Amino acid sequence: MAEQIIKSDLNFINDVISSGGESLKKCFQCATCSVVCNVTPDDKPFPRKEMLHAQWGLKDKLLSNPDIWLCHQCSDCTAYCPRGAKPGEVLGAIRKLSIEHYAFPSFLGKAVGSPKALLALLVVPVIIFILALMMQGHSLIPEGKIVYAETFMKVPYIDVIFSAAALFALAGFIMGITRYWKDLKSGVDISDNPWQKKVKGPMLMIIINTILEFVTHKRFKKCDVTVERANSHMFVFFGFVGLAITTAWGVAYLYGYEIFGIQPTAIFHFGETPYPQYDPMKIFGNISALVLLSGILLVITNRQKNAEKAGSGSYYDWLFISVILTIVTTGILSEVLRLANIPILAYPVYFTHLVAVFFLFAYAPFSKMAHMAYRTTALVFAKYSGREVK
Amino acid sequence: MAEKKKVLVIGGGFSGLTAAVESAEAGSDVVIVEKTPFLGGRVTQLNKYFPKLCPPNCGLEINFKRIKNNADISFYTLAEVESISGQEGNYNVTIKINSRFINDKCVGCNACNEACPVEMPNEFNFGLDKTKAAYITHNQAFPFKYAIDGKHCKGKSCAKCVEACKYDAIDLDMKPDTVNLNVASVVIATGWDLYDTAKLDNLGGGNIKNVITNMQMERLASINGPTSGKILRPSDGKEVKNIAFVQCAGSRDENHLPYCSYICCMASLKQATYLREQYPDSKVRIFYIDIRTPGRYEQFYWKVKEDPNVTLTKGKVAKITEDSATGDVELVVEDVLAGNKITEKYDMVVLAAGMVPSTKASKVPGEISYTHDGFVVASYLKKGMYAVGTAKSPVDVAKSVQDATGVAIKTIQSARR
Repeated sequence: MAEQIIKSDLNFINDVISSGGESLKKCFQCATCSVVCNVTPDDKPFPRKEMLHAQWGLKDKLLSNPDIWLCHQCSDCTAYCPRGAKPGEVLGAIRKLSIEHYAFPSFLGKAVGSPKALLALLVVPVIIFILALMMQGHSLIPEGKIVYAETFMKVPYIDVIFSAAALFALAGFIMGITRYWKDLKSGVDISDNPWQKKVKGPMLMIIINTILEFVTHKRFKKCDVTVERANSHMFVFFGFVGLAITTAWGVAYLYGYEIFGIQPTAIFHFGETPYPQYDPMKIFGNISALVLLSGILLVITNRQKNAEKAGSGSYYDWLFISVILTIVTTGILSEVLRLANIPILAYPVYFTHLVAVFFLFAYAPFSKMAHMAYRTTALVFAKYSGREVK
Repeated sequence: MAEKKKVLVIGGGFSGLTAAVESAEAGSDVVIVEKTPFLGGRVTQLNKYFPKLCPPNCGLEINFKRIKNNADISFYTLAEVESISGQEGNYNVTIKINSRFINDKCVGCNACNEACPVEMPNEFNFGLDKTKAAYITHNQAFPFKYAIDGKHCKGKSCAKCVEACKYDAIDLDMKPDTVNLNVASVVIATGWDLYDTAKLDNLGGGNIKNVITNMQMERLASINGPTSGKILRPSDGKEVKNIAFVQCAGSRDENHLPYCSYICCMASLKQATYLREQYPDSKVRIFYIDIRTPGRYEQFYWKVKEDPNVTLTKGKVAKITEDSATGDVELVVEDVLAGNKITEKYDMVVLAAGMVPSTKASKVPGEISYTHDGFVVASYLKKGMYAVGTAKSPVDVAKSVQDATGVAIKTIQSARR
C-alpha cells in the first residue's frame, strides 16, 4: 500500500465530543458494532471505521463518505457496545457536524447547533412577527371574534414572511447539498475503498427507489433495539406530508376564490379562512396534526424508554424534537382556543405557533431537519456508486 | 505446649490445597472446607495446563498425597462456612456439612452407581452428558468415595443403591451436621465459576448445540470426559474439523464482565493444539479483540500462530446462528484489519467465556468487602483473613499457586502473634 500522510484535525475531535459524542474515546475497535448493525454493507462496514476516523480526527474521510447517513441510528451498536462508546450517538454528532460544515451561511450552521445561540435565533421571528403586527396596526390581543387572518396576521403577511423563509431555506439547501455532492464525488478519488470506484446507475431510477424507501421506511425497519422508531418516525413523516398537502389545499381554496373566482362547490369551501370544521380540507388537516402529535409523542417516549440502551440524545436532537412538539401543540391549541373564543390565550398561542413554524422553516438547512436532504443525497449517492446493503 | 492454633481454608481447589499443604508442612493445623463432594476444584476439569501442555492431574495427585500423609490437615467436603466472627488468633467459625449419604466404608466399587435409576445432568462435564444420582466425578477423584445427590435422589422409597452396596456404606438417613471451630486465621480460596453464556443473546444464548464453552472444550478433550477425549461435537457426534474460537465471550464487556478474564486467550490457544493434534487436517480460527498472552506466555502464542492451519483474526464475533439442517454454526464478524464483514460456517464454535468469582453468587460470611463484580478486596480484609487466587482477580493456576504459597507464611504469622 502506498504511503499515506494522515491529516488529523484535533478541533474536529473536540467538536464531535462536544456535539453529543462524548463517549467517542471509549471505543477500542472490537467491531461488535459493525456486526450487530443491520443496515451496514458487508464491505467496509460502519460504524467501527467511523469511530476510528473520528478518534483520529479524519474529518475529510468522514464527510466525503455517505456512510454516516446510511446509518439510521437504530442504536443496536450502542446497546451491544462493550465499552459504552455509543457509536450511534457518535455518528449522530458527526452528522450534526456535517450539516454544520455544509451550511450556507455557515454562521447559522454553528448557531443552530449551539445552545448559547438559541435565544438569538428565537428573537428573529419574534421581531419579524411583532413588526408585521405593528404594520397592520394590530395589538397582541385584539378584541372581538377570533379570526386570525383578519384580527391578527393577514394572509399577505403570512405568505410573504413564510415564502421568504422557505426561499431562504431552499437556497441554503441547494448550496449545502451541492457542496456535499461535490465532496462525495471527490471522496471517490481520494478513497481506497473499492466500492467507491464503480460509479454507476441511472439517476432517475435511483431517486425514485430512494423515495420509495423513505415512504416504506424499509431501512428503519431493520433496526432491532429501537424497532418501534420506524413507526414513530413514520407518523411524524406522514403527519408532515399531510400538513403540507393541507397547506397546498388551503392555498387552492383561498387563491382559487380570490384570483380565479371559484365559488364554494359541493363540499369544498373555496373562499376565505376560517373554514368550517366539516370541510374535507379541515378534516384532513386535523387528522394530519393528530398523526404528527402522536408521532412526536411516540418519538419522545421511545427515546426515554431506550435511553439506557441507545443513549439519551444530544441538544441537537432535542431542539428538533422540541420545535416539532411546539408546532403541533400550539397549532392544535390555536384551533381549539379560537373555537372556544378565548382571545387572551388564543393569540399568544398562535403567535408562538408562527414563531415555531418560522424556526423550523428558516433554519431547516441547519437543524436536524436537514437530515431529510443530506440523507437522501447520501442514499442516492450510495446507490449511484454501488454502495448498497445486501 | 498448648494446642496448636488452627488455619481455616475455605475452598478445596488448587489455591486452597496449596495454602493448606504449605501451611501444614510448616507446622500449622489446617482445616479445609469444600462445598462439593471432592477436592481439586476447577483443575480437576482441565485436560492440560498451558503453556507446557502437561496433565493437571499429575500435580493434583501430589497434593492429594501430601494431604493423606499429613495428620495436621483435615477437610470437610459438601461443607459451607455459615458464620465467621472474632479477630486474628481467635476466629469462631460455624461450618455446615451437608449429607453425602455415603459413609467412610465406601470402597468405590461403583455398585451404587450401577443400581441407581436416577439420571441427572453431569455438572462435572458442564452438562455435556448425564450421570447418576449416586456418582463419582472421575476415576482419580479425591476422596475416592461416592456421593449421592440429595436433590435428585428419590430417597428411601427407591433405595436400590442400599441393596446393591455390599459394604453397608450407604445411609439415606444421613442428616446435615454443624461443626464449630476456633481458628487463628482464615484463607478465602473460593475460586471461580464460568460466566453464564446464556446471557450472551447475540452469541446463541446457550441455545445452539454446537456452540460450547471453553470449559466444555476441556471436558471434551479430557480422557476422563464424556467422549473419552475424542473431540466430537455435541449435536451429532461428528468429528470437529473446522472450529472457531470466540474470544471475550462476556469478558471486557461492560454489559457482562467489565474486566479481562486473563486466561481465555491462553486457553483458546491451548485448545487449538488439542484439535490440531487430534485431527491433522483440522482448521482453527480464533477471533479476538486483542490476544493477551502476558509475560512469557507470548512465546506460546508465537508457537501456535506458526501452525498454518491456525488463523488468528482481529474482530469480535457478535452474531452466531445455527444451521438447523446440518447443525453447523454460522458466525458473523468484522475482520478489522481487512475492514470486511465475514460470515462463515463451522462444525463447532467455542465461546471463550470469562471467569466469575464464586463469591459473586455466594458471599463468604463475615465483614468482607467485595468489588462490584464480586471479587474479594484483599486490602480491606481484617487481620488474619487472607484471600488467594481467583477470589481476588482472574489468574491462572501457576499464579494461584504462587499466591497461595505466599499466604501460607501469613497464616503461620497469624497463629504466632
